[in-house]
Amino acid sequence: MRFRASIENVATFFKIIQSIERLQKKCIIKFTETNMHIICNNDANEGGIQVWSQIKVASLFSGYRIQSNANNEITMTITSEALLAALKSASSSGTSAYETEEVVMKLAKKNAQAVLAFEINSLTRVGRRVRVSHDVKIEVMRPADVARLSEPMCPEPDLHILLPPLQKLRTVVDRLKPMSDILAIRANNNGCLRLSINTESVKVDTEWKRCSHPITKDKAQDAEDTPDPDQFFAVLVSIRSFLKFLNSHVVSTTTIACICQNHCMILYVYIGDVADAGGVLTFYVPAIIDDEI
Amino acid sequence: MSQTLEEELPPVLKASVHDVRYFSALLRGVNFVNRATMTVTDRGLTITVEEARTLLGTAFIFSDIFDEYAYRSENSPAVSSQSSDDVDMADNVAFEVPLNTLIECLNIFGTAGPASTNGSNANKFKKWKKPGDDSDNDDDGDRGGRGKSGSRAIDSYFNGSEKGTGMRMTYAGAGNPLTLLLAEDATGPTTTCEIATFDPEPHLELDFDNSKMVLKIILKSSWLRDALSELDPSFDKLTFIGNSPPKESVSTTNQKQPSREVSKPMLRIQAAGTFGSTEMDYPNDRDVLETFECTRSVRFSYRLQLISRTLRALQSSTKTSLRIDEEGLLSLQFLMPSPKPRGASDAFIEFRCLALDDDF
Repeated sequence: MRFRASIENVATFFKIIQSIERLQKKCIIKFTETNMHIICNNDANEGGIQVWSQIKVASLFSGYRIQSNANNEITMTITSEALLAALKSASSSGTSAYETEEVVMKLAKKNAQAVLAFEINSLTRVGRRVRVSHDVKIEVMRPADVARLSEPMCPEPDLHILLPPLQKLRTVVDRLKPMSDILAIRANNNGCLRLSINTESVKVDTEWKRCSHPITKDKAQDAEDTPDPDQFFAVLVSIRSFLKFLNSHVVSTTTIACICQNHCMILYVYIGDVADAGGVLTFYVPAIIDDEI
Repeated sequence: MSQTLEEELPPVLKASVHDVRYFSALLRGVNFVNRATMTVTDRGLTITVEEARTLLGTAFIFSDIFDEYAYRSENSPAVSSQSSDDVDMADNVAFEVPLNTLIECLNIFGTAGPASTNGSNANKFKKWKKPGDDSDNDDDGDRGGRGKSGSRAIDSYFNGSEKGTGMRMTYAGAGNPLTLLLAEDATGPTTTCEIATFDPEPHLELDFDNSKMVLKIILKSSWLRDALSELDPSFDKLTFIGNSPPKESVSTTNQKQPSREVSKPMLRIQAAGTFGSTEMDYPNDRDVLETFECTRSVRFSYRLQLISRTLRALQSSTKTSLRIDEEGLLSLQFLMPSPKPRGASDAFIEFRCLALDDDF
C-alpha cells in the first residue's frame, strides 16, 4: 500500500477540512486514483446530517501516487482536528513566520502505527529552510468495511435551487437559532426561497427572490407534466444541523439545494468554479417530520 | 369595536425607518428582562421593563426618529385627535412583547447592531481593531481616552457596517402580533416577522417628584461609565453620597463625616462587597459635573447588580442626568444621541431604582 502526494492547494484543503471538522470529530477519507472522498456518516451527528464529498485529485494535489491491493484505493479514518492542525501549519497565511514551499503528504508506518505524514518545507523570512512534520494517526479501513459504506437513499428531488451566498444565509439562520429549534425551508420553481420559523412567540419568514435554478438534464422529461412553478416544496430541518452545513461557507462558491419534500434536503457545495468542478461536498440533512406546517 | 370596521381602519401603529440601528440600540439599552411593555402614543413609543420590583427601565423613542410614524387611537376613533384636550400620555395603546426576540429580529441580517454577534465577522473585526485602538479602548482611565468617548459612542452606530436594515413595523391592535417587515436593500431578501404580543401587566409606579428632589447631577456619560465599569463584580452594594457645595456644607456640621476630610466631596460613589470596598470622588469642577444641585447631604445605597443593568444604555449615551429624591428613589436618564443630522429629538432611556433600606 503506497500513497504520496504533494498538496498544491493547501488553502482549499484547509477550508474543506475546516467545514468538516465542525461537523464530526472523525471522518473517513477515501483516496482513489482520481478522487478524494471525504465522508461523514456518523449516526450520532446533530440531526443525522451526513457529508459525502468528492474532490478531484488534480484540484488539490500534484505528484499523486497511489497503490493498493484494493483496486488502488485507500480508505482511512482520521481525526479531523489533527488533520486540520497539520494543514494549518502547512498553509502559509500572512501571520505565519515562514513561507511554505512544498507540502508532501504520504502514508507511513511509525512504531506499528499507520500515520499520514505531512512534511512541510518552507523558508523563513530571512531565507533559512524550515522543515515541519506532522504525523496524523489514521486507521486504514478494511475493504469489507469500505464496501459497507453507502450513501443515503433519497427519492428524486422535488426541486433544485441555487442558494444565495451562504455567508448571508448564515447570518439569518444564526439569528433564528435562539428562537427556534426547527427551521422550515421552502422553495418553488420560480426563484423563491423561504426560510421560516414558527413558534408560539414569533413567526419569522425570510424570503429571497430571483434565485436561479440549475438546468437539469432530464428537462424534456419534466416538460410533460410541467409542475406549477409557484408550488412550494417544504422541508423541516434541525436548525443546528443546518448551521453545521452553513459552516461550509468558507469553501463554497456555488451551492445547489435540492428539496425532497418531507424527506430530506441535499446540498451540493461546489468547490471552486462549477464549470471546472474541482469537487463537491454533498450534505444530506434529514427532514424532521412534524404535523404542523 | 365591530370586526368589519376594524378591517377598514388603518393599523394602530405604523412606523418605518430606513436604518434600524438607532432603534435597536435603544431597545438593547433596556434589554435586561425579556418581557417588555411597549406603549404607543401619538408622540412616540416607550418601552418599559422591570426587574425585582425595584428597577424600572424605560426607553423613550420619539416619533421623529422614524421616517414615517402613524398612530391611530383605538379608544375613540371618531373624536380622537381633533379634541385638543389630549393629555399626551393619556391616549395610548400598550402591549407586551418578548424584547429579546424583537431585537434578534431587527438584527436578522446582522446589520442592526454595533456589537454584532455574528461569529466570524465579529472576530475579524476585533482582530483588526486591536493593534490600532488598543491604547484607546483598554486604558479607559487615560485622560486622552475620555474626550473622545462621546464621539465614539456615536460612531458605534455607524461603523458596524455600511448598509443598514430598513424596517416597517405595524401593530393592528390588541390580540394581533407586532409585524415587522425588514429588508437590507431592494435586491436582497425580505423578512417578515410576526411577534406575539401579550396583554400588558401593570408595572411598578415609581413617580419621581421633582419637588422632593435632593440631588441632581448632569454629567458626561463617560465619567459615570468609567466609574461603574471599574467596579468589581463581587461588590453588591453601591452608594451615592452627595454633599451640598462647600459654602453651605460649612454650616451643616452635624453630619457624621470622617473628620479628616476637610472639604467633603460633592459626589462620592462607594461600592462595598464581601471582599472590600472602594470609593470614587468626583471633583467640584464644571468640566466634570455640568450641573450639581444638592439641597442637603444625601446618602443612599442601591443593589449594584441592578445598577449595572444600566451599563448598556450608559455606554451608548452621551449625557447622564442623575437625580435622587428624599426617599432615595434614583432616576438615571441617559441621552442617546440620534444619528439623524436634522435635529431630530434625541431619544433617552430612563432607569428608576428604589434604594436599599439603610439598616440592610
